[in-house]
Amino acid sequence: MTTGRTAGETDYAPPRTRPDWRPSGDSAGAVGIGPLFALLRRLREGLDAGLELPEAVARAATALPRDARHRVLRAARRLEGDYAEDEWGFDEEFTELIEPFFRFLYDSWWRVRASGVSNVPAHGRALLVANHAGILPWDATMMSVALLREHPLPRYARFLVLNWAFDLPWISDGLRKVGGVVASPYNALRLLEQDQLVAVFPEGVKGAGKDFKDRYRLQRFGRGGFVEIALRTGAPMVPVAVVGSEEIYPKIGELPLLARLIGAPYFPVTPTFPWLGPLGVIPLPSRWRIEFCEPIETAGYGPGAAEDRGLVFELSERVRDTIQQKIYANLVERGPAFL
Amino acid sequence: MAGRRVLITGVGSFVGSALAARLERDPEFEYVAGLDTRKPKLELEGTELLDADIRNPVISKLVPQVEVDTVVHNQIVRRPGPGVSARAMHDINVIGSLQLLAACEKSDTIRTIVIRGSAGVYGSEPHAPQFFDEDMTRLFPLRTRFQRDVAEIENYFETYSRRHPGVTCTMLRYQPAIGPSLDTQITRYLSLPVVPTYLGFDPRLQLVHEEDALEALVAAVRRPVRGAVNVAGEGTIGLTRMVRLARRPTLPVLPPLFGALASAGKRLGLPDFSEDFSRLLRHGRAVDIGRLEREVGFTPRYSTPAAVEDYVRKQGGRRLVPSMRQAVAG
Repeated sequence: MTTGRTAGETDYAPPRTRPDWRPSGDSAGAVGIGPLFALLRRLREGLDAGLELPEAVARAATALPRDARHRVLRAARRLEGDYAEDEWGFDEEFTELIEPFFRFLYDSWWRVRASGVSNVPAHGRALLVANHAGILPWDATMMSVALLREHPLPRYARFLVLNWAFDLPWISDGLRKVGGVVASPYNALRLLEQDQLVAVFPEGVKGAGKDFKDRYRLQRFGRGGFVEIALRTGAPMVPVAVVGSEEIYPKIGELPLLARLIGAPYFPVTPTFPWLGPLGVIPLPSRWRIEFCEPIETAGYGPGAAEDRGLVFELSERVRDTIQQKIYANLVERGPAFL
Repeated sequence: MAGRRVLITGVGSFVGSALAARLERDPEFEYVAGLDTRKPKLELEGTELLDADIRNPVISKLVPQVEVDTVVHNQIVRRPGPGVSARAMHDINVIGSLQLLAACEKSDTIRTIVIRGSAGVYGSEPHAPQFFDEDMTRLFPLRTRFQRDVAEIENYFETYSRRHPGVTCTMLRYQPAIGPSLDTQITRYLSLPVVPTYLGFDPRLQLVHEEDALEALVAAVRRPVRGAVNVAGEGTIGLTRMVRLARRPTLPVLPPLFGALASAGKRLGLPDFSEDFSRLLRHGRAVDIGRLEREVGFTPRYSTPAAVEDYVRKQGGRRLVPSMRQAVAG
């Protein structure tokens, strides 16, 4: 456990154990147009010579630089169904494939600065509890990237997502692939029993539908269900304060009638949505800070404590207070939202 | 203990006849009877075949005569198809189960009833927990006719086991089975020349291999437990990955048009998709098999992905995709 460290100490550059996730100069994604044509030409030649498609792809890929070749072969293998997903649909390979996109968001778009990452246990179960805004769980993905990039022993986080997202085409699928699951207590329990790192957003729909003027004011933490889950599994709770996420979709109003029509919990109106159509879904480039706070141990209370209402509320309030204070501190430290 | 005496309903199905073949070779079982109007799929030597329709009240006379201690109810139809309309399916499932229970009431030798039920009772829901355990049947409303039928059947058997504390009723809730010998909705779906999917959805499916489907029944007959037990291969598989493994081209369909396409396909003579199956293709379903492993003491040999891989391997050779190569090569 690394609970003893202060936030300042954790900002050191960790050893590069997973080069894929570290920012690096010579990106593997940089494939020029030239090799692409060479690839297509050789693919055509191979097919004309009567090779099966996978084999032709494999041969043609030799025309590419090594990194690009690996990517092409991997994509070809995926089309054959040759890839692994776990029982939740989490697909590590896919997550790595789209990593450059999240890296761009993390480094350039939102300029995220994470602190206190070593407060997150390096192994075993743990529950990350964070504030949340917006229907799409960008904050969850950025927390994940922060852990992968800055944690001395990088690990993937799983996150509970508002149920409604699982009604949506593509989004439901994509969320599952990068580690999202339906926000059900049964899912959280099972994941923690499998010793996973699980992120929850106890504000739920109330947080997702917050008005812009209420940003960074934490809503009620439900009935404290997340505390019950932590107590039952003995998982430590790590409060996480995310600053920046509440400015990406500044909600200035809503259209309840339209929301009823499409069965959504609410239909947001932002300066760009729905006016700009699909472009309105692009989040604004605010400046982000993510602080992982000291874990709150729950193993000492025993699983029976989950039924102790008083304890559940007390712990829930403690987590909420911690997050709220850290949000204020980070807001001051961050300064202007977009510059 | 003298040898056990078993009655198997639906012995004409693949799993039914495989179970009969398996038990008649087992010295623990001195007598095996099979009830069905269909002929068994396998050669059975030691099994006494009772040629009667499970919907017919005559089984109330037949069943007490054979003096069995164990009944395996294997006649729950999961799919409408050629020769079995939705109506007939409902009759076989609900009326058949009722008649069987009526027959069991008349017999006083029965100690164990094992039912090959369906995990379809949980339904397929976008907001469901990823893994249903046995207590979660009431989380969502019953949406389809099959789901209501299965719930009704479960109810009858629960009532029966309350009335007869000396009888152990095991309700096995099976996920859809897959295997080279089976003809199920899944295998038919995977044999379509082009496989329709819901555009933008990739549900998590969970299947059970045909060998495990059989072995789970054997295990439950050997060691029955009270109440419901989920039966499935470990883990889940994405529909996309399953279809890719089976090397079938997909046809993504806008969700509102899926039903129309399915009924058009039916008119063209392609297999019918039941409402349950369509929901499964959109939202998927998985169950927790902890109780099967701990209490019945059976761990399926094939995980869900392994069951699909095994099915594809044994189907081997029948590839429809090479046409893609020609398409690319012009």
